[in-house]
Amino acid sequence: MAAPALQTISDRLRSEYSELLPEIIRVRDRLETEVRYHLLPVVERLSHYERVLVSARVKDCESAVDRLRRHAESGTFDEESPERYSLLNLRDLAGARVLVFPQSRLPEVHEALRARFHDWTSDPFPPRTTSGFPAYKYFGHCPAASTTVMGEVQIVPMAIGLFWELEHDALYKPSPELKGIEKDPEMQDRTTLVLDALRGFEDRFEQLVLLSSASRTKRSE
Amino acid sequence: MTTAVATKKALLDNGGYVYDFIHMLYFNRDTKKAFSVEFVEDNPPEVLERSLREPSNTQRWEFYVRNPLSESVRRKVEAALG
Repeated sequence: MAAPALQTISDRLRSEYSELLPEIIRVRDRLETEVRYHLLPVVERLSHYERVLVSARVKDCESAVDRLRRHAESGTFDEESPERYSLLNLRDLAGARVLVFPQSRLPEVHEALRARFHDWTSDPFPPRTTSGFPAYKYFGHCPAASTTVMGEVQIVPMAIGLFWELEHDALYKPSPELKGIEKDPEMQDRTTLVLDALRGFEDRFEQLVLLSSASRTKRSE
Repeated sequence: MTTAVATKKALLDNGGYVYDFIHMLYFNRDTKKAFSVEFVEDNPPEVLERSLREPSNTQRWEFYVRNPLSESVRRKVEAALG
């Protein structure tokens, strides 16, 4: 019988993904439940126009493999050193994202979650990706679900989060290899313009809400 | 875009370098030089300019990278760049 063909690093990582998937799902479920539970006191105090939305996801196989490929300079796996690559090095195989509107609610959401995830590692977003909006990211383990698969919690203003979803779902999810486009300086410029516009929108929205609420309070006195 | 980034972008554009988003490299087939995104980000425009001016060996690709590429990676990238 012929010897089996040698697996490429991508194939080996896909196989690792299949083995890890049940554990990744457990981490996702655990993260989502804990995040929702710890945010209950905040959510119950929201005004009718305010939002705190929690979503959780499992990184899909091709995105995970491509993420490791892009870790390497020149975006190429070194097929002669397969031991250098494992999906367990990724910090976001499972993740929970909290979208907050307006951004003035963000510090209290952050405080509620930081208390639970105090032993996780902070991994700030690069400033250019948030354009002055407050945003937080942590990674670590949920030992009750897995001691090897890491999870990530993101707390971001809703405006940015929804823009990221547009970018990710429409552009990068179907073709993860396109992710390198993000590194193009002109693309980064255009992204900054979008984020600045979103921040301007949200700043003005909050100003108007505050003005209107102050004026109502004055009238009722 | 900051001034430094704009300067580096202009240097690469003027030198006929194209961005390959799969390998995250700026490359030029005529000069057979390629610059990784990391190299471009890490170094000031003066270093990039000097590297662009260096005489090129048009027989073999020259990679300007943060960490040297292993032989197998170099072969794969060279094959992809053509």
